Amino acid sequence: MDSITAPNSSQSTAGFAALREGLLGLLQSAQNADGGWAFHTGGQSRVEPTCWAVRALADGKSGSAEPGIARAIDFLKSKQLDDGSWPANDGMQAGGWITSLTCSVLAGCGEVPTPEIQKAIEAGLQWLCDDYPRDSSGWQKFLKKLQSKKNLVEQSDEFRGWGWTPRTSSWVEPTSFALMAFADTKPGAQLAKAVAERRTMAVGLLYDRMCPRGGWNCGNPRVYGVDGDPLVLPTCWALLALRDAPENSQRALALKWLREEFGNIQSAGSLAMARITLESYGVALPESRRSQVDWPASDLLEQGTHVAAWTALALNPTRSWPEVSRAAETQAAS
Amino acid sequence: MNQRKSELIPSFSRPPSRVLIRKVARYEEDLLAIIHESLTEFRLQIKDKTVLLKPNLVGLDPQGVMNTHPVVIAATRESFLKMGAARVLIGDGPAMDRDTQAILESVRLREFTGQLGRDFCDLNIDDVERVELKTRASRLKELFLPKTVLGADFFVSMPKLKTHHWAGVTLAMKNLFGIVPGSCYGWPKNVLHWAGIGNSILDINAVARPDFVIVDGILGMEGNGPIQGTAKAAGVLLFGDDMVATDATACRVMGLRPEKIDYLAKAGTMLGHLEAGKIKQLGEPVAAVRTEFGVVKEFAHLRDSGEWRVVSRES
Repeated sequence: MDSITAPNSSQSTAGFAALREGLLGLLQSAQNADGGWAFHTGGQSRVEPTCWAVRALADGKSGSAEPGIARAIDFLKSKQLDDGSWPANDGMQAGGWITSLTCSVLAGCGEVPTPEIQKAIEAGLQWLCDDYPRDSSGWQKFLKKLQSKKNLVEQSDEFRGWGWTPRTSSWVEPTSFALMAFADTKPGAQLAKAVAERRTMAVGLLYDRMCPRGGWNCGNPRVYGVDGDPLVLPTCWALLALRDAPENSQRALALKWLREEFGNIQSAGSLAMARITLESYGVALPESRRSQVDWPASDLLEQGTHVAAWTALALNPTRSWPEVSRAAETQAAS
Repeated sequence: MNQRKSELIPSFSRPPSRVLIRKVARYEEDLLAIIHESLTEFRLQIKDKTVLLKPNLVGLDPQGVMNTHPVVIAATRESFLKMGAARVLIGDGPAMDRDTQAILESVRLREFTGQLGRDFCDLNIDDVERVELKTRASRLKELFLPKTVLGADFFVSMPKLKTHHWAGVTLAMKNLFGIVPGSCYGWPKNVLHWAGIGNSILDINAVARPDFVIVDGILGMEGNGPIQGTAKAAGVLLFGDDMVATDATACRVMGLRPEKIDYLAKAGTMLGHLEAGKIKQLGEPVAAVRTEFGVVKEFAHLRDSGEWRVVSRES
């Protein structure tokens, strides 16, 4: 496993295509009768793995025209709560961060969302606009001033993003997914002002929570005066969320960190998302110790539906989410 | 499927608990022999049972400082298989990073256990079941918990011996935060922080009580744990049939007063024994292995001396 692999060799390209086909076949066969996917084949249908499976299977296709995808969309619609949010699991009374991913996926799995799907998306976006984390409320800010632990973490409470679950704190990943939901959907005029306000605060929060040497972890850039270590997946989500934000030095630093870390990644899920992220910015892929073809398709599916879906997406050079930057295409061709 | 039962018994009607301390200076020692011999002393009824080992796999850790060491996990798994277990699963749901596979790679777990296949369970993405929290120590009324945990015949919490910057210590009871699935509650499982860390620990341990505890204190962590603290060699493994008693003993090994840790003090009234007099001490006495662990300022009151020092990787 210590050898260095060049990701763009012709041998890799053929292996990648075969692996992607294998993954898409396995994903199709892993769909449950109710139209959803579980994290593990044969398990409970859940919203998140269903979203990732749909995203991989619908990628580059007409989307909802596929029978399996149409059933999955019905599954997702059926799980929406009355307040417009989606819960992580059946039986949960409150929705959460998965609302963002579901809105993105529903918006991206057809040429134009049907009026019914658009209505579901709008309800989800409205919920996101109304859902404020608890940590940055006026009352909580007042309480923090009284606490002796106020220097435990060094971050600004002026910014507000989203929590994983309602009434908790802002974190990097759910904030990133909400920003992606705003970018992937077309919020109606009645939401435009709220979306713009939330977007500004959320972008500010992401930069505030960035680790000093670039990249992100869950959202603790410094604790007790010690710099936090960035992690691959949170960095990918944040960078994908900031694609539409103005270019700045912090984002460049995060991209630099991810590019340098790429060669050290040891897991299939992180490798896939790092590839997707770097290519979306037009960054040429560095050499890496591991290659996606190190793992058979069945192993990837066993790691989770999301890992199989991320890998299938990463191996599609013409993926629609997120698009491969033209700069990357140019670099790959040269 | 077996279902774990809530067991709230007042301290006065509990039989004494047993905690065994073994001196183990290095991970290179014959851990299989040491762990198997130690487990045998407890006469555990394991034959044909499905055992779930829940180590503390909290983050990327190539130096082996923050996670339960893989050689301890592997030797424990092998020991339970030797004792007749039908199957020994390993499962955890890391709190800060959803890429569990990356953590497994960084600790090289499979180099010690061999291929695990479905014998490793990422508890963050396991199928879940709604569980009512009858203790209501926190404001949480319910949690969705992994079926693999709820269905295990014999559940073993395997923490690392560490101090914690928010909870004071992170041992067998705090280790159960790792069974709360990130796919439902996120990374980190922030709803538990808002509900109160200590009280959440009580609620979770009341509904998913470990049957046994093995603490990896060969190399622990002091100061700004659970991730950014400093390695501290304590040279011990602790074994116990009561998570409260084992955690209390581990605190005493670290030179900390368990009765000053709020959740442990409360746990001592309904979930297990806190008082040294109610714990049958096997193996080494605490005094023979006591190693003073540094704590952050907020937990200076845990130290017998009342002194504190922030110790982190960069200090």
